[in-house]
Amino acid sequence: MSLLSLSLNEWRRRPLRNAVTALGVAIALAALFSMLAFHEGYRDGMRGEIDRLGAHVLVVPKGCPYDAASMALHGANWPCYLKSSYFQEVLHTVGVATAAPAFMSALYPSNGLQAVYVGVDERILALRPGWKIEGVFPQRLGELLVGSDIARQQHCHLGESISLPGLAGEKGVISGILKPTHGADDTFIYCRLEDAQTWFRHPAELTHILVRLTDPNALNETVGFLRGCDAGMDMNVVPLAHLFRTIQSLVNSTRLLLGCVALIGLLVAATGVSNSVLMSVAERSREIGVMRAIGASRGDVFRLICLETLLVCFAGAMAGVLLAFVCSRGLESWLRSRLPFAPSDALIRWEWSIAGACVMGALLLGIMAALLPASRAAELSPIEAMREGSRV
Amino acid sequence: MSNLEPVIAARALTKVYRRGPEQVHALDGVSFEIARGEFVAITGASGAGKTTLLNILGCMDAPTSGTLRIGGKEVQSLGEGARTLLRRQHIGFVFQHFGLMPTLTVAENVALPALFARRKVDTRVVELLDRVKLLHRRTHRPHELSGGEMQRVAIARALINQPDLVLADEPTGNLDTATGQSIIDLFQKLNSDGLTIVTVTHNPTMAAAAKRQLVLSDGRLLKNPVGTG
Repeated sequence: MSLLSLSLNEWRRRPLRNAVTALGVAIALAALFSMLAFHEGYRDGMRGEIDRLGAHVLVVPKGCPYDAASMALHGANWPCYLKSSYFQEVLHTVGVATAAPAFMSALYPSNGLQAVYVGVDERILALRPGWKIEGVFPQRLGELLVGSDIARQQHCHLGESISLPGLAGEKGVISGILKPTHGADDTFIYCRLEDAQTWFRHPAELTHILVRLTDPNALNETVGFLRGCDAGMDMNVVPLAHLFRTIQSLVNSTRLLLGCVALIGLLVAATGVSNSVLMSVAERSREIGVMRAIGASRGDVFRLICLETLLVCFAGAMAGVLLAFVCSRGLESWLRSRLPFAPSDALIRWEWSIAGACVMGALLLGIMAALLPASRAAELSPIEAMREGSRV
Repeated sequence: MSNLEPVIAARALTKVYRRGPEQVHALDGVSFEIARGEFVAITGASGAGKTTLLNILGCMDAPTSGTLRIGGKEVQSLGEGARTLLRRQHIGFVFQHFGLMPTLTVAENVALPALFARRKVDTRVVELLDRVKLLHRRTHRPHELSGGEMQRVAIARALINQPDLVLADEPTGNLDTATGQSIIDLFQKLNSDGLTIVTVTHNPTMAAAAKRQLVLSDGRLLKNPVGTG
């Protein structure tokens, strides 16, 4: 027998009350865990998505830069275009190491799946060093490089001639299949820039230009040059690092608010735990008095009540982490439907370190919640405690 | 503790409570000694100060004045920690309401004081349960026992740390006559084995079974000159 087994016995005596108290901790902790997991997931997802783009700067038509960035990252139909001639100006701007022109369009074929076509030239390869291509990059008319998800869904094989989804009467040949990138590229169909411009009837127009800088530390200076070039008035120069920071700060304020709510929830749960243990101490004052009489020191009683409280908090914390895990899928799709800009990577990132930190936090809170009832119990004089109706 | 030394030596013990503006003298100059191996009953009417005296002897309360030596050690001015240690090492308690933990088994209840004393007592628990004839009930919980069985468990628990002294507060108070008699018999047996027992009782049979009586009235000791039966 140990103090721990004594504490476990106490849990068995009032299972319903303890379960309800632990449930309060579990709900608050699940909220906090989800918040932290979302914080990690969203930040890393955004960073990964921008890294996969391989560019430091995105040049897009005039309009909302966040919409444009979202379209470039996730694939969409663009409402306006850049002149192809701007590309040369961008490419020759001081500080630009390389640039890749792109024409993107999204179609919705009858099968309901979105087909995103991206017309590019070989310069894109310099921006995507991580790409692994089975086959070759499109070089001839009608050749296609398809993302791994598309290849899987459409059962594409190298050299196969396929009807282009959403483009009635047009045919293409699979020249290459992208190995999984775990990003939006997996769902794109890459083709030659000229082919995309022809199929979508926008010759001599681009949707965006991806720009890589010679020195990323000179971002502001290069962005200034790009904005100052002749075409600068007709295009929007979006530094992706700034975009990342702005989106992060927009989401951060909401996250901070939700974090505060979760924290308040946890404090309320801790008050509930403290109250429940206080009640338990009041009900057991005679038992505590007997324990003191038969040799338990104030420290023993304090430790016993602390252990009981910690057990409730620990059970609540474990249940909370489990609850967060069970609800993570639903929460992820709900967040995706609400967020204006969501990376394609998992938004709720399951990390053992977060789970561990949450459990530790709950235990810390348990210690705080235990302080009052444990001190009240330890202060009980054995004589007073053994009297019926002793007040705690 | 030395064998020659009285287990308890009380000199002019007083205990004064405040009840509103009035002072209540629960104990008023009580002096006595209890030698090793004695079986002493403290008797008297309700409110005579019996339980107050027992609480002071058990180091659960401190006298207002006077001196109290337990096993040769002056205890009246000891701090809370030292009094707990003394209780743990030298005194066993038996209560009228048994004071068993309802969530623990019989064996766990008996072993509880040893947990606080950080002692390993597995074999001693078996030995004590055998002694009080409850070994077959070791895995039962208190609500499965009769009153007499619960009190026997409480007695076994009082003995687990091998105390020099057992203090009992109305040990037969919650029991019927026959069951009370079995407890009295058990106390007599333990006393005949050398255990010092001091019990507060209203039960004349219990008082008669003791070797000596201390009779309290209004906080004063009526009978029992120091050291005599």
